[in-house]
Amino acid sequence: MNAIEIHHVSKRYGDVAALKDVSFAVPRGEVFGLIGPDGAGKTTLFRILCTLLKPDSGTAQVDGYDTVTEMESIRRCVGYMPGRFSLYQDLTVEENLQFFATLFGTTIEAGYDSIRAIYSQIERFKDRKAGALSGGMKQKLALSCALVHSPSVLLLDEPTTGVDPVSRKELWDMLGTLRERGLTIIASTPYLDEVRRCERVAFLDHGEIRGIGTPDRILTDFADIFNPPGLSRHTIQHAQKEENVIEVEHLVKAFGTFHAVDDISFTVKRGEIFGFLGANGAGKTTAMHMLTGLNQPTSGKGRVAGYDIATEYEQIKRHIGYMSQRFSLYEDLTIRENIRLFAGIYGMKDADIKSKTDEVLEQLHFRDHKDDLVGSLPLGWKQKLAFTVSIFHEPEVVFLDEPTGGVDPATRRQFWELISEATKRGITVFVTTHYMDEAEYCDRISIMVDGKISAIGTPTELKARYRMADMDSVFTHLARQANRAAD
Amino acid sequence: MTLRFLLQKEFLQIRRNAFLPRLIVLFPIMIMCVIPWVMNMEVKNIIVEVVDNDRTPRSQQLVHAIEASNYFRFHGQKNTYDEALQCIQRGNSDVIMVIPRGYSRKIATGEVPEILVAANAVNGTKGSMGSAYLTQIITSHVQPDFAALQQRVSTLLLYNKHQNYKRYMIPALLALVMMLMTGFLPTLNIVSEKEAGTIEQMNVTPVSKWTFILAKLIPYWIIAFFVATVCIVLAWLLYDVRSTGSLVWVYVLSMLLALFISSFGLTISNYSDTMQQAIFVMWFFIVCMLLLSGLFTPTRSMPDWAYLTTYINPMHYFIDGVRTVFLREGGWHDIAHQVAALALLGSSMSTWVVISYKKNN
Amino acid sequence: MKQFLSFILKEARHILRDKRTMLILFGMPLAMMLILGFAVTNDVKNVRTVVVTTHHDHLSTAAINRLAASDYFTIVAKASSPADAERIIRSQKADMAIVFASDFASKHTGLQFIVDGCDPNMAQQWTNFATGVILNPHGGIVNSKMLFNPQMRSAYNFVPAIMGMLLMLICAMMTSISIVREKERGTMEVLLVSPVKPLMVIIAKSIPYLALALLILIVILLMSRFVLMVPLAGSIFWIMVVSLIYILLALSLGLMISNIAQTQLVALLASAMLLLMPVIMLSGMLFPIESMPRILQWVAAIMPPRYYIDAMRKLMIMGVGIADVLKEVTILSAMTMLFLTVPLKKFNVRLE
Repeated sequence: MNAIEIHHVSKRYGDVAALKDVSFAVPRGEVFGLIGPDGAGKTTLFRILCTLLKPDSGTAQVDGYDTVTEMESIRRCVGYMPGRFSLYQDLTVEENLQFFATLFGTTIEAGYDSIRAIYSQIERFKDRKAGALSGGMKQKLALSCALVHSPSVLLLDEPTTGVDPVSRKELWDMLGTLRERGLTIIASTPYLDEVRRCERVAFLDHGEIRGIGTPDRILTDFADIFNPPGLSRHTIQHAQKEENVIEVEHLVKAFGTFHAVDDISFTVKRGEIFGFLGANGAGKTTAMHMLTGLNQPTSGKGRVAGYDIATEYEQIKRHIGYMSQRFSLYEDLTIRENIRLFAGIYGMKDADIKSKTDEVLEQLHFRDHKDDLVGSLPLGWKQKLAFTVSIFHEPEVVFLDEPTGGVDPATRRQFWELISEATKRGITVFVTTHYMDEAEYCDRISIMVDGKISAIGTPTELKARYRMADMDSVFTHLARQANRAAD
Repeated sequence: MTLRFLLQKEFLQIRRNAFLPRLIVLFPIMIMCVIPWVMNMEVKNIIVEVVDNDRTPRSQQLVHAIEASNYFRFHGQKNTYDEALQCIQRGNSDVIMVIPRGYSRKIATGEVPEILVAANAVNGTKGSMGSAYLTQIITSHVQPDFAALQQRVSTLLLYNKHQNYKRYMIPALLALVMMLMTGFLPTLNIVSEKEAGTIEQMNVTPVSKWTFILAKLIPYWIIAFFVATVCIVLAWLLYDVRSTGSLVWVYVLSMLLALFISSFGLTISNYSDTMQQAIFVMWFFIVCMLLLSGLFTPTRSMPDWAYLTTYINPMHYFIDGVRTVFLREGGWHDIAHQVAALALLGSSMSTWVVISYKKNN
Repeated sequence: MKQFLSFILKEARHILRDKRTMLILFGMPLAMMLILGFAVTNDVKNVRTVVVTTHHDHLSTAAINRLAASDYFTIVAKASSPADAERIIRSQKADMAIVFASDFASKHTGLQFIVDGCDPNMAQQWTNFATGVILNPHGGIVNSKMLFNPQMRSAYNFVPAIMGMLLMLICAMMTSISIVREKERGTMEVLLVSPVKPLMVIIAKSIPYLALALLILIVILLMSRFVLMVPLAGSIFWIMVVSLIYILLALSLGLMISNIAQTQLVALLASAMLLLMPVIMLSGMLFPIESMPRILQWVAAIMPPRYYIDAMRKLMIMGVGIADVLKEVTILSAMTMLFLTVPLKKFNVRLE
C-alpha cells in the first residue's frame, strides 16, 4: 500500500504556478528524496501534504487519508519539520521538546526511543534557551520535536541546511533506523550524499516533475545540474605570496567560563583560499567575528591586513569584505542599489561604481535583472550577489561564513568559479563550509574541534596524515573526538 | 561622503515600503481633520433636571431662563429629588436644580431662598463648570443687584480673544503628530535591521557610528519638516488658525523636538531586541511625556514632584514655546529659554544614540 | 486537558521571560495611575497673579489678602498700572492680573481682570474663582452639592478610563502580537499540523493574557483605593463581572487583528491605530463626547471602551446598582458575542 499518493496536483500563487500537474506515489516504508533548485515548489508540496495548503486541483492522500477532507486524521499521523526553525527561541531545549510532546499527546519519556539518537547529543544543553543554540543544534532539536510522537509519515523540508557533515551523517543513519521501523520519510535536500541515501528521488523543477527514479539514475540523467564536473585544482590559479595577511596567536574568546574559541594560532598567506572547517558550535563564527572586528578577543593577538584586531578594528574593516551566514543585503533595494550602497560606503567614486557595476552585472548575467528587488531573487542568485558585493571594493581578505548553505550543486559550482576569479585578482579568501567537496578546493584548511584547531594543512597533507581517502572521512574522524557541541 | 549613499538607501527603503509613504502623508492630514473636533474641552450641552417644588410663575421664570441658556439642555421637570437623582445615576443627566417651596414668597419678602444645585462631579471639570453656570443664572435671577455688581467686573482677555478652543489645541496637535511620526518610525528602524541581520553587514564596513546614525536620523527630520508644514497649512485652511508669531520659530522648535524624539527612538531601539519591546518602551515614555507636558492640563496645577519632571521634559518646552509663538505673538526673546533647553536635551540625546550603538562588542 | 495546560504554561513562559515587556506592563499602570491621578488636573491652583492697586484701602487690602491666602492664586508681583501688568503677562511671568480701580472701596466697582486667554477654559475658570474670592458673595442663595466627588478630584474621572485603556492595550495588542509572532517565526505551521484543535490553540493563547489582564485590573483597583483614595463605592463582584466581559471583548478584537495581520509590525500598527487611538480620543476619557460634532458622536457610539468606562464610572464611583448600568452591560455583551464569533469562525486551519 502507498503511504503517499499524489494525483495531478496543481497550485498557483496569483500569477505564479508553484506546482503544475504533479503526480507520484510513495510506498510505505520508503525513504523518498525531493530535489530541485530553490523555488522549484518543494515547500509548497510539503505544505499540501501536511494539509497546510489546499491544492487548486488534483488530490493528495497521506496514509490513506485525503489531505482536504480528512485533515484531522492526517495531522495525527504526520511529523513535519518546516524549512525555517519552528522552535520557540525563548523556551529551553527541554521545554520545547516537552511542549511538542504534549501537543501530540505523548511525553518525552514515551517518545524517547524514537529520538534517542539525535536528542542524546543535545540533552546536555536541555536547560539552554533554544535561541542560544547554534544552527546545527537547532535543527537537531527541531527534528527531535517532529519525531517525538512516532509519526508514521515524516515530512522533512531541508532538514540539514547549515548542519555539519558529522551531524548530517548521524541524522541520516537515524532516518535509516526509523525506516526499518516502517516509517515513510520524504525529505528534500541539496546535499548529494544525502540524495544517494534515498531509495528513490523525484526531481522537481519549476513546479514540474522532471524525473523519478533511483538516485543514481536521476543524478546521471541530470548530471549537468546535480553533478557538474568539479573544478579542477589548477583552474584555480594562485597569485599566492609568502606574505601573511592574517596572523593569529593564542586567540581566546570566553563567554563567562565557556571558552568558545580556546587558544587558536594560525596564519593565512596573501592570495590563499583558506578553509576554516569545524562542526556546528566548534567556534568558527565566533573566531570569524573577532577577525572581522565584530567582537573583541578575550586574550591573544591577531593581525588582519596588518592591523591589530583588538585596537585597530575600524582600520581592518576598510580592508576586508564579509558575507555572513544569514543573507544580509537589503531585500527592499534592487541589485544595483545594493551594489551602489556598499561600494559607496567603502568610499568608491561614482564613476568607478558605475563602470564596475556594469562589468559585474555582465559577468553574473544579471544585466536584465539589475532593477529587480533583491528579495525577489532565488537563493542561489542572492548568494552570488552577496559575494560579488563583498569583494566589490577589492578588499585584501574576504570572509565567507557558510556562503553556500542550502544551495544546489550547479549554483555552488558557479559560486566557486567566482571565488576562483577573485583569487586570481589577489584577494585572500577565508571561508567556512559544511560541504567537503568544497574543502578540497581550498589551498589549506584548518579543522576546529571544541574551540581549538586540531589539524591544519593542505587537503593532500591532511588526507595523507590521517590515511583517509577524502576530506569527508578526515573531518568525520576529527569531529567525532568532540566533547562539546555548542557555542 | 558615505553619508550620501546611506541616505539614499534610507529614502529608497522608505519609498519602497508599501505602508510608510501613505502613513507619512495621510496620518497628519487625518489627525488635523478629525482631532481638533475631538479635543474640545468646552463644556456644552449640560443636561439639567429641575425639581420645582414651588410651582409659581416666579419659579417658572427661572426654569425658562435656564431653558433659554445655550449651555444647558433642559430634560424636563421631575417631581422629587430622588427621581431626578435616578436620572443622574442612569447617566441621563448631569445637574439637578431643586427650587424650594415658598421660593417666590421669600423673594417677595426679601428673604434669601435656598436653591439646591447638585451636580454629578465624577468628571470634576464638567460638574464644577455646570454648577457655576447654573449658579450664575440663578443669582442674576434672585439677586439682580449682585449680578449687576458682577457685570461691572470687566475682563480683558489677552490673546485668543474669541475664546477659540481650537486655537489653543492646534499647536499641541502639532506636537502630538510630530511625536508619533518621528518617535515611532525610527524606533522600528534599527530593530528591524537587527531582525533582518543587515546590521551585522553594516558593522563590518568602515562606516563610522556618527555617519550611520546621522543617516538614520536625517530622513525623519525631513519627514518632521514635511509634517509640520502639513499641519500648519491645514490649520490655516480648515480652521483659519494662523500663527501670530513668526513661523520660523515654529519650525525651529519643531526641528529641535524632532531631533530629540528621533534620537530617543533610536536609543530605545539600540537597547531592544524585539520590535514589541521597542514599541512598548517607546509607548510608555511618550505617554508619560505627553501627559506631563501641559498639553492637556496646566503644568502649574501639578504637584511638586510632577512639576519637577517638566524641567527635563522636551515636550513641555516645545508646547510652551509653540503656544507662545502661535498664540502670544512670541518672538525670539520669549522662547529663547525653550529653544536652548530643547537644543540641549536634543543634542545630549543624540550623543547617547551614538554611544549606545555598538559596532564592536 | 494536559495539552491545554502545557500550552498555557508555554504561553506564560513567553510572557514571563520577556523581562522588559513585563516591566512595562506593570510599570505602565503604576505610572499612569500616579500621573493621571495626581499630576494631570484642571484644578485652579498656583495661578500667577499680578495685583494692580493705586490706592490702598481696607477693602482691596482685604481682597488681596484673601487672594494670597487661597491655594488658587499666587501673587507674584504688584504693579502700578494696568499697562505694567499687561507687560508682565506678555513676558509670561504671570497668568492674570487683577486691577483694583481707585474707587473700588467706595462703590464696589472698578474691578478688572487681565487674563492670558490662550486656554479659554482655564481663563474662564480663573476669572470665576477670582470673582468668587474677591467679591466674597454672601452665600446662601445656592447650595451647591458635588455628588459622588465632593472634592472634585480628577482621579475619580480617570481611574475608569485608565482601566479601559490598559485592558485594551494588554489584551488586544499583546494577544494579536503573540499570535502573529508564531506565524512569523514559523511555529504556527507546526501547531497547525499537530492534532490539536485550532479552537484550543486560540483559547490557550488567550488565557494567560486574560489572567494578566485580571492581575493588572486588581493592581489598578488596589492602587486606586489605597493610593489615590478613590472609594470603590459599588459592588466589587459586578465590577469584576463587567471587567471580565470587557476583557473578553478586547481579547476577541486582538484575535481578529491577528487573523488579518501577517507581520508583527502590521499587528502592532493595526492595534495602535484601530484600537488605541480611538480609545484615547473618542471614549470620553480626556474629551467630553457631548461637545463633539454629531458625526464623531456616532463614531464614538461604536467604541466598546466608551461603554466600559461609563459602566465603571457608575459602578465604581457613583456606586449604583447593576440595574442602572444594564444598558452599557447589554451593549458590551452584544459586542463581545459578535466579535468573538468572527475570529472563531474565521480562524485559518490552513496557511491561506
